[in-house]
Amino acid sequence: MAKVLIVDDDPDFVSAVAIVLENAGYKVCKAHSRQEGMQVFDKEQPNLVVLDVMMQEPDDGFVMAQELKARAKVPILMLTSVGQVTGLDFDKDSEMVPVDVFEQKPIMPSVLLERINQLLQ
Amino acid sequence: MQVLDRTKIIQEISDLKKTYGDDRSALLPILQDLQETYGYLPDLVMQETAHALEIHPVEVEGVASFYSFFRRKEKQGKYVLRLCQTISCDLAGKVNVARQLENELGIKFGETTKDGMFTLEYTNCLGMCDQGPAMLVNDRLFAKVTPDKVPYIIVDCRRDFLKSDFPKIVPSDVRKSGPILSHDLKPGEGLKAALNHTRAEVIGIIRESGLRGRGGAGFPTAVKWQLAGAAQSDKKYVVCNADEGEPGTFKDRYLLFHHTDMILDGMTIAAYAIGAKKGFFYLRGEYLYLKKYMLEALEIRRKNNLLGKDIAGKKGFDFDIEVRMGAGAYVCGEETALIESLEGYRGEPRNRPPFPVDTGFQKNPTIVNNVETFLDATLICVKGAKWFNEHGTEKSKGTKIFSISGDCEQPGIYELPFGITIAQLLKEVKGENAKAVQIGGASGKCVARKDFNRTIAFEDISSGGSIIVFGPSVDMLKVAINFMEFFVEESCGQCTPCRDGNVKLLEGLKLLEKGRCSVTYLNELMRLAETIQLASKCGLGQSSPNAFLSILENFKSEILGRVPEKA
Ligand SMILES: Cc1cc2nc3c(=O)[nH]c(=O)nc-3n(C[C@H](O)[C@H](O)[C@H](O)COP(=O)(O)O)c2cc1C
Ligand code: SF4
Repeated sequence: MAKVLIVDDDPDFVSAVAIVLENAGYKVCKAHSRQEGMQVFDKEQPNLVVLDVMMQEPDDGFVMAQELKARAKVPILMLTSVGQVTGLDFDKDSEMVPVDVFEQKPIMPSVLLERINQLLQ
Repeated sequence: MQVLDRTKIIQEISDLKKTYGDDRSALLPILQDLQETYGYLPDLVMQETAHALEIHPVEVEGVASFYSFFRRKEKQGKYVLRLCQTISCDLAGKVNVARQLENELGIKFGETTKDGMFTLEYTNCLGMCDQGPAMLVNDRLFAKVTPDKVPYIIVDCRRDFLKSDFPKIVPSDVRKSGPILSHDLKPGEGLKAALNHTRAEVIGIIRESGLRGRGGAGFPTAVKWQLAGAAQSDKKYVVCNADEGEPGTFKDRYLLFHHTDMILDGMTIAAYAIGAKKGFFYLRGEYLYLKKYMLEALEIRRKNNLLGKDIAGKKGFDFDIEVRMGAGAYVCGEETALIESLEGYRGEPRNRPPFPVDTGFQKNPTIVNNVETFLDATLICVKGAKWFNEHGTEKSKGTKIFSISGDCEQPGIYELPFGITIAQLLKEVKGENAKAVQIGGASGKCVARKDFNRTIAFEDISSGGSIIVFGPSVDMLKVAINFMEFFVEESCGQCTPCRDGNVKLLEGLKLLEKGRCSVTYLNELMRLAETIQLASKCGLGQSSPNAFLSILENFKSEILGRVPEKA
């Protein structure tokens, strides 16, 4: 079964997403910062990454997405409330936000699973 | 009385619109040019400007009344003499120069001579703190003015400066250079190095260097650029904050004149990184004499394909820079007030969020950076992140350019690593017998001898570069009053704690001067100061009580129980 890495500085959110994914049969690994995320990624080699934007630094998610894409072809689902928190208007773009799907929090579990299934096909 | 010709005014405004554009953001430059023509802004001129820009005349009046360089009632003299009233110039003997100016011209400050030749005004920091007292005569700068020089300056004005022994440009005193100031880069070199990388890579290099904003707040530059780069918009802007208004700061004035191309390279690199097509150079009104050098530099860069279309051969990379002048408002150095000013409004800071990286100039993603930040970014792109961050501390990488003035033998510009202690710094500038040092200008902290082992760094005492040394004989109450008068004058007035609270603090200081303030009342004022810090909207109000609090905490025994001098 596919392995998903969840990176978010909110531990409750990470646990909630992990439960949803595990119930759907995915293997899950977790990280709570950009630095930890990169370490876990290298060790676990997941098939997909669910990534937050604002962690220790407000742009950590964007930076991590760039680092991941420079390293591997792994699909990234960016899941963030950055827009509501800051009023900023972001979306995926090939260079600065190289993610495959950009979704706003909160997200319905069914929608999240659907997106992940699509990305992994 | 001046007779105004409405048709002529309408024509002039229509011509100015061709230069500056016909939207609201053209308002300030249009008013600046019209004031140049008419010597002030007559009601008719403001009304016609309003009609031409399709806004209400009250809006124009509101803008004109906000900025101290606009005159609405009385025609200003052919020569406006602006004497600096900031603390460094005060310590250097401003009072005697002021007195002599009044004697020679027969007018008081705020007045114009009957023949319409001279207007006498005070101004805040002219960026000449190491060479005070300083005075600006229209766009000419005079340093180290003494009372005996006053009549000669006035004679030179009467001769329209056809003959003058005073230097046209006052050089800055660079006392110590480091890796930044002694760079050997040519114009465009930094930019071309950056263009060899992808946009994300450029930001990556800046991130690795650990560069934090040099304007004072120390926000990580890469984060700002990354957020603006990631924001979605087809219009983005790069703004260079050259409003250098913090009392005691004069390093940007030097950098603008001697490292112009490196700064413009930095702006262009930022434009590439975030995807901007237009930049603004917001230069403070007091630095008008630098405008023509900036314009020349921009023109040369256009000719050399360092600005314009397909810059340096990079297909699709188009960018240009416009110089905009401030008009004598310190608060416009605050980045959201600066953006309001660029848009043609009163320089009143905005609520944040949203931040300028997303909702900046005309609601588009905008980055605002200090002059020195752009210079550092350029050098980092050529010399690498490691070259930069081998200096400084864990959280404050690199060296910093300091403006050092006051009671020391060698005031001037110094490049020193972050993490230097105040004691080490005083040794450098030969000011070891200081009783206190003001770090970070009027909005910074006053540090007494017992704390001279503390360091200058973002994690300890941060500074945009202003350092003022106070010798043993300085009256610290006078210093506090000078700073408080500055804030009372410069508050934009939007929030009550800042607008009225600072007035109360100043009144308290005046009571102390008269020896009529109880400790109970003083404690009340200190609580009020804390409220101002908490309840103000922008950095001006949040930091305005810093000097008040730190001076009173450190020098209470010097300040309490005064016996007033007899009149
Ligand atoms: C009242 C006030 C005045 C300021 N004046 C300046 C200034 O003259 N120059 C400057 O670079 N930053 C000034 N700042 C800081 C700016 O708001 C902003 O943080 C800075 O331009 C960001 O650039 P940096 O990150 O490169 O430092 C001022 C802030 C406040 C609150
Ligand atoms: S804190 Fe002062 S300067 Fe800042 S917005 Fe409020 S009134 Fe204006």
